[in-house]
Amino acid sequence: MPKHYRPAGKKKEGNAAKYVTRSQAVKYLQVSLPVFRRLCILKGVFPREPKKKVKGNHHSYYHTKDLMFLKHEPLLEKFRDMRTYERKVKKAVSKKNRDLAERLLRRKPTYTLDMLIKERYPKFIDAVRDLDDCLSMVHLFAALPAVDRIVDGEKIPVSRVHNCRRLSQEWQAYISRTHKLRKTFISVKGIYYQAEVEGQKVTWLTPHALQQVLPEVDYRVLLTFLEFYETLLAFVNHRLYHSINVTYPPILDPRLEALSADLYALSRYLDANSQMSTKAITSSGSEQAEHQQDEPGALMQQLPSNEPGALMHLLEDASREDDEDSETRQCKNLFRNINFFLSRESPRESLLFIIPAFGGKVSWEGAGAPYDESDQSITHQIVDRPTQGHKFLSREYLQPQWVYDCINAHIILPTEKYIVGCVPPPHLSPFVDNDAEGHVPEYAEAIERLKAAERKEVLPLPGMGNEDLDDPQSLLGIIDRAEAIEAAKKKQKMLMQEKKYHDELKLELQGAQLPSLQSGVEVEDAEGDALPDLQQRAKDADSMSEVSMSRKKRKLLEAMKIGKKRKEDGVNLLKERKRRIDQAKKTSS
Amino acid sequence: MRSKRNLTSSDEKDLQKRKEDNLVEIEKRIEEAETSSDDSPFVSDFEDSENDDNETLIGDEGSTDESGSQESELSDSEDEDAVQSSDDDEGDDNAVYANDDKDSVEDNNHSSDSEVDEHDNVGVEDNIDGSDDSREIVEESDSSEDEVAPRNTIGDVPLKWYKDEEHIGYDLSGKKIKKKEKTSKLDSFLARTDDAKSWRKIIDEYNDEEVNLTKEEINLIRRMMDSKAPHADFDPHPSYIDWFTWDGAKHPLSNAPEPKRRFIPSKWDAKKVVKYVRAIRSGQIKLDDKPKEEPKFYDLWGEASSADRQGLAYIPAPKPKLPGHEESYNPSLEYIPTQEEINAYQLMFEEDRPKFIPKQYTSLRSVPAYEKAVQETFDRCLDLYLCPRVHKKRINIDPESLKPKLPNPRNLKPYPTTCYLEYRGHKGPVVTISAESTGQWLASGSKDGTVRIWEVETGRCLQIWDIGEPINEVEWNPELPILAVAAGQDVFILKTRCGNDEHQKKIEDLLHVQPQVGADDSDTNESIVNWVQDDTHGGIRLKHFKTVTKVEWHRKGDYLSTLMPSGESRSVLVHQLSKKLTQRIPFKTKGIHVTSAFHPTRSMFFAATKKDVRVYDLLKQKLVKKLEPGVREISSLAIHPGGDNAIVGSKDGKLCWFDMDLSSKPYKVLRCHGKDITSVAYHRSYPLFVSSSDDCTAYVFHGMVYSDLNQNPLIVPLEILRGHSSFDGRGVMDCKFHPRQPWLFTAGADSLIKLYCH
Repeated sequence: MPKHYRPAGKKKEGNAAKYVTRSQAVKYLQVSLPVFRRLCILKGVFPREPKKKVKGNHHSYYHTKDLMFLKHEPLLEKFRDMRTYERKVKKAVSKKNRDLAERLLRRKPTYTLDMLIKERYPKFIDAVRDLDDCLSMVHLFAALPAVDRIVDGEKIPVSRVHNCRRLSQEWQAYISRTHKLRKTFISVKGIYYQAEVEGQKVTWLTPHALQQVLPEVDYRVLLTFLEFYETLLAFVNHRLYHSINVTYPPILDPRLEALSADLYALSRYLDANSQMSTKAITSSGSEQAEHQQDEPGALMQQLPSNEPGALMHLLEDASREDDEDSETRQCKNLFRNINFFLSRESPRESLLFIIPAFGGKVSWEGAGAPYDESDQSITHQIVDRPTQGHKFLSREYLQPQWVYDCINAHIILPTEKYIVGCVPPPHLSPFVDNDAEGHVPEYAEAIERLKAAERKEVLPLPGMGNEDLDDPQSLLGIIDRAEAIEAAKKKQKMLMQEKKYHDELKLELQGAQLPSLQSGVEVEDAEGDALPDLQQRAKDADSMSEVSMSRKKRKLLEAMKIGKKRKEDGVNLLKERKRRIDQAKKTSS
Repeated sequence: MRSKRNLTSSDEKDLQKRKEDNLVEIEKRIEEAETSSDDSPFVSDFEDSENDDNETLIGDEGSTDESGSQESELSDSEDEDAVQSSDDDEGDDNAVYANDDKDSVEDNNHSSDSEVDEHDNVGVEDNIDGSDDSREIVEESDSSEDEVAPRNTIGDVPLKWYKDEEHIGYDLSGKKIKKKEKTSKLDSFLARTDDAKSWRKIIDEYNDEEVNLTKEEINLIRRMMDSKAPHADFDPHPSYIDWFTWDGAKHPLSNAPEPKRRFIPSKWDAKKVVKYVRAIRSGQIKLDDKPKEEPKFYDLWGEASSADRQGLAYIPAPKPKLPGHEESYNPSLEYIPTQEEINAYQLMFEEDRPKFIPKQYTSLRSVPAYEKAVQETFDRCLDLYLCPRVHKKRINIDPESLKPKLPNPRNLKPYPTTCYLEYRGHKGPVVTISAESTGQWLASGSKDGTVRIWEVETGRCLQIWDIGEPINEVEWNPELPILAVAAGQDVFILKTRCGNDEHQKKIEDLLHVQPQVGADDSDTNESIVNWVQDDTHGGIRLKHFKTVTKVEWHRKGDYLSTLMPSGESRSVLVHQLSKKLTQRIPFKTKGIHVTSAFHPTRSMFFAATKKDVRVYDLLKQKLVKKLEPGVREISSLAIHPGGDNAIVGSKDGKLCWFDMDLSSKPYKVLRCHGKDITSVAYHRSYPLFVSSSDDCTAYVFHGMVYSDLNQNPLIVPLEILRGHSSFDGRGVMDCKFHPRQPWLFTAGADSLIKLYCH
């Protein structure tokens, strides 16, 4: 009997029973492939990798438990209902039964995804952890032009685009309001933001606000993902808004909305609402308010007169100070006393989001702005044009990159390099660990120095242990280096001794042997081969240890070596280019 | 008069039908005319009529085409005659016409030019109404078109019968009616373009003439195409005239009493209502139109609920890679590749090519939209729902930690490390060496055909034999100072000058072969080799039938095995020196033998073929074990002095250590050499073994075998010995340990023998 023979009626076991191919799965669930895809996307079911691929290597396998999970999904039944409903409508229409068709059309079956979200993310933190893709996609669709379009037979409804836009702005308003933004990065692909929500780092990408290219892809898949992400983000926003005592969905000032200053409208709304709620809190717990009575008193002078709710705002800030970590506080105060003005061509949406997130005040050119260009309190004007005609002497005219660089460095950078008309210094990614990468760009070093200088200023005792605190890493490096040098010296010494010993031994032997030498015999040349050079020795040691390794480990080692080599090559290439650029500069100057 | 009237009406019908046939064509032409000419005939009637007049004028005056005019005259006269008899013909014409619609279109193009003259005859003044006026005109004028009977009298026959003829049929008098000359396409086209009215012309195929439709006719056609009544004055919906006068009628039309059903509500209506009521009550029909608006979003994670995920363990998708410096819109200059580098990317394989080429934009406003934004999002989506996810442990370890922890070689001393002596004298590659059991002498055989004996400690050459053939193997007898030498097809057993007198005497006795004659004839046939006294070299010569590559003494020194790879079933022979006997090993062998060895303590014999090593028990005379190293080709074999372990060297540079108690598979495979392993050897007393290879190196290993059976042998690479140089692709040809000291002799293809000491 062949080994693989299974008698009739005997159940399958092992991988053959546990995993089924996709076509088997589709057949089992009695759905069409698009519906299966939809279900998989919505339920978060993905293929698994069985240890033994029973049906061959070119299939994707689904676990039977996943399939059962799909099979018991109410959505599956709902999809079937929708299909029959569509058939009914079609039939009614084609039979010219207008009554029935109208009645049916009025009662279109709908479905909700909230239970799915709950199922996939049982805790809020799980949802936040998985928010990266969601945010990137929603922001991408928010950037698509709001037109009903048919791409590849699939419609991207305007309402979806609007919804994405609203959701993304709600999210940004929350992040900006609670000062949770940490890093930003303008890349070629768009602007990356990283925020810290619930202790989780959430990174997302917003495309540049330009006409997007729509390639020929399966938009059904994209729209299904988007459907889930929209719901997820709405629930997350709801939760977040409630955590700062703001009702959701927000009701916006229609005037501002019409002026497409939604983000500003949202932040206004957030301010107003949270002020109201804090008012309620403070009235109930009056002793808390009394406790902080002196603080707002002292800060009273700083308040701009035109903002009536500012006192409450401050109060609320003070009361919240306790549960904020030091980083948030630092972020909040970065642009504390800086008033920005954005000129027409600067990326308004992004700057309106990030500047308030770091405690700055911002206005822009256009209707509905809080203050206009001639306002005397403006300290920085963000300009993205080759030259600036009329200039106020009281303010600085800077390129947008300055804001982003300041945020990444967490300090206010000197402005000379960013003034209008000049090429700004390189914009560096805040997501890179320069030391691990092996190559530190010049400007990163400069920023590090500035940061160190900043810290020195803050330190209470500038004279004393400043050196250590200033740059502990470099000091550590020095220690290491000293040690290394010492060790190297020792080694060299030992080698010398060994060599000497060998030489002596040889001489001794030669002396003993010399008289008995015969015609066909020659003494080994002592200097040449007896003591192979150190490199050879190291290589031998290497190869000898490799001799007794198992094949698996040896292959792994080789792979690691290749990887290391590649990385090193990359770094060397960068260094080489840097060197060449420096050289060119030197010769030209 | 009556008949005339009939005729006109039938004529009219006929015309209509014909026109219907040509509807499509005309419609086409109307369209053309509308598009091409500004003065569309439908714009102003006045203009139209004017044009008509002009045309008639031209037609009258234009005698350019004489034949045409003549013909028209002729036809006129004929027409008159034909009036009476034509009415039955008319109806049938249509069918024919319908059949040959295509032809007519074609002909129309050709003949339109010539028929310009005639058109006034045919239909210009056609009176569609068939009114009395027209009839009067008919009666009065001889050239009236109304009663123009078809000239042709062929009747209802397919016109294609006349297709190839010169005539289209016969007139009433039986004369042939000739076909008109066809105008060239170009001419007709020109005519059409010149004449704004050309769209009105259709061809009467049957009579082979062109008919010019009048405005009324065209209106008629248009109305028919709009599916209205052909005549404008026909009222399709006349107001109802109740001819019956009700006043004064005393009795109803029907005297039957009103039926009951007129007074009771419909049963079926009631049933239908009940059905609807039930459906509404049961909720099948919902009357409240709008479903209730519920708050769409709520605190999903609010209430304390089961916070466990159902289903299989969730594997979160890996997060997208965060951007590095190079993705910046304004990266540091060193991240931007030079133009040469970008060009070089084109030469790379598609998959090696960098996906993203950094570029510098001097200001934020100049950054364009990223064209792959949607594509990349889509790819990410595909990854999320189509890629199988597996938990994989990322190995983040120091590569050094992968290397096995070996004991420090320093603790495993002594072992040969440095070259101490060289023995020079051979003229060709030294193929084989052998150290004498006392450790005082070293024998070597070379390809130059000489065998030499060296004093180990001094390097003095004691004795030289010139055999004349390349030496394959030399081997000292373990007991006596006798040397076995394999060269070509012969094996020599040579006396040496080493050893004391007692030994010499013993050797004298041993190495004496009685020259056997006569009686031995039968024996020689039986025995495979010849034992011959060899006086030139001083010893015995064993003549084999094939090249001998390997000679090995049994540990007691009485037996000697020789190996001939091409000897097939007799490839391995065992000779007994004391009895001068030869026998082949009594086992069935398979494959070409490469090397062989005696077990160091027991009466066992190892024979290695290219693929495996077979272990035979000599007493029981059977196969005990088969060792399978799994290498390409075995080249050498050595048995541990303990007898339970063996090493096998292969031609792919692998060294296999077999623990024969453990398994028939190698306990450890050491990949040390880049080229063929030529020789492997164990030290007799120290836990050392060595492998030498054609890559001019010899690896010295520590190979400790423990008496405790539970402990596996410890194998530690100790030293790589270099020094020999390559000659003719060969490196170190042979290596042997000194029997007492941890010293190593290596024989190289560079005709040197080296001694490595500790």
